[in-house]
Amino acid sequence: MAGAVPPEAAKAAATEKAAPEKVDYLNLPCPIPYEEIHREAMMSLKPDLFEGFRFDFTKGLNPQFALSHSVSMGAAEIPSQSSETIKIPTAQYEFGVNFMDPKLMLFGRLLTDGRLNARVKWDLTDNFSFKANGLLTGEPHMSHGMFNFDYKGSDYRAQFQAGSGALFGANYIQSVTPHLSLGGEVFWAGQHRKSGIGYAARFNTDKMVATGQVASTGMVALSYVQKVSEKVSLATDFMYNYMSRDVTASVGYDYLLRQSRLRGKIDSNGCVAAFLEERLNMGLNFILSAELDHKKKDYKFGFGLTVGQ
Amino acid sequence: MASRVSLKSGGKGKGGRGSGARAAEDDGWAAAQAIKEWSTWAMKKAKVITHYGFIPLVIIIGMNSEPKPHLSQLLSPV
Repeated sequence: MAGAVPPEAAKAAATEKAAPEKVDYLNLPCPIPYEEIHREAMMSLKPDLFEGFRFDFTKGLNPQFALSHSVSMGAAEIPSQSSETIKIPTAQYEFGVNFMDPKLMLFGRLLTDGRLNARVKWDLTDNFSFKANGLLTGEPHMSHGMFNFDYKGSDYRAQFQAGSGALFGANYIQSVTPHLSLGGEVFWAGQHRKSGIGYAARFNTDKMVATGQVASTGMVALSYVQKVSEKVSLATDFMYNYMSRDVTASVGYDYLLRQSRLRGKIDSNGCVAAFLEERLNMGLNFILSAELDHKKKDYKFGFGLTVGQ
Repeated sequence: MASRVSLKSGGKGKGGRGSGARAAEDDGWAAAQAIKEWSTWAMKKAKVITHYGFIPLVIIIGMNSEPKPHLSQLLSPV
């Protein structure tokens, strides 16, 4: 008996050395937060395209505190009944403050028409954090806000959300293997008397990320991002709504070069878009944005300058 | 059972107890309405306070963080 045990232990050690990828299921990594499950695909395929001229100036007073001034002049779209898009030229100035602490992050943006966009992220302990964001306006019944309470466990994350209009939601995501994580969410919207449930899955390795999400509102969203090299990554996204029979597929690329970042995508709605950020100097960035919607015959071009970190 | 007996025993008693029960229900309902009204009032006030006070609050927190920036740095464009 005593003689039989050491050979087994020796064999187990040998197999462990030969197969270093033996999975320790009790020690899995913490998964990505549920709302960021499509993060890579969103970053590559949905840059913030704009129209007109944009100038952003960020002044850091402190490593933690910064003020930002942003001017934008362009055409804003008005939703219209006919198929023609109506554009009204607008200009606005936005004043912003950022405070970033390891434990507390505050972000506020105030526009000339009085709208305030505020975000708060407060890490109460290592595992529990509180987030809030809100868009407040002077008009009655047009403001909304959302509060999130997150708990991060060793290999899972749970979140509870409460928002204006009696919107409540909860979601949970769990790492099942070192590469795969599965999650689900439920929400209830009091104002519209609707509730829904959804599931999501994310599989990622060093080279690729594949995600899928299904919801009872009829939405099915799949995405795949492949990191072809250090500088290039390709992404594709498929969104299908089985209630309204709406399908959108898009393919895009993301080039991260030394002095610039170029993102482009083409859509099944006949929309081609590109976004270039070029670093002219330390702290000076030049941005170009183009969005051509061939189906709606709507062409948007923008250029801008970003000064500061 | 007991309520049926008391109902049978006297009309005046029945009337008094009925209105008493209704008054108790009314009190409960009025309390719930009062709580709803006060919470709506509180939410409205909180929204106005956040709208006007959030940016000044962040500026105060930022100006008091280390290393303390000077007030001229806040106002000057450079």
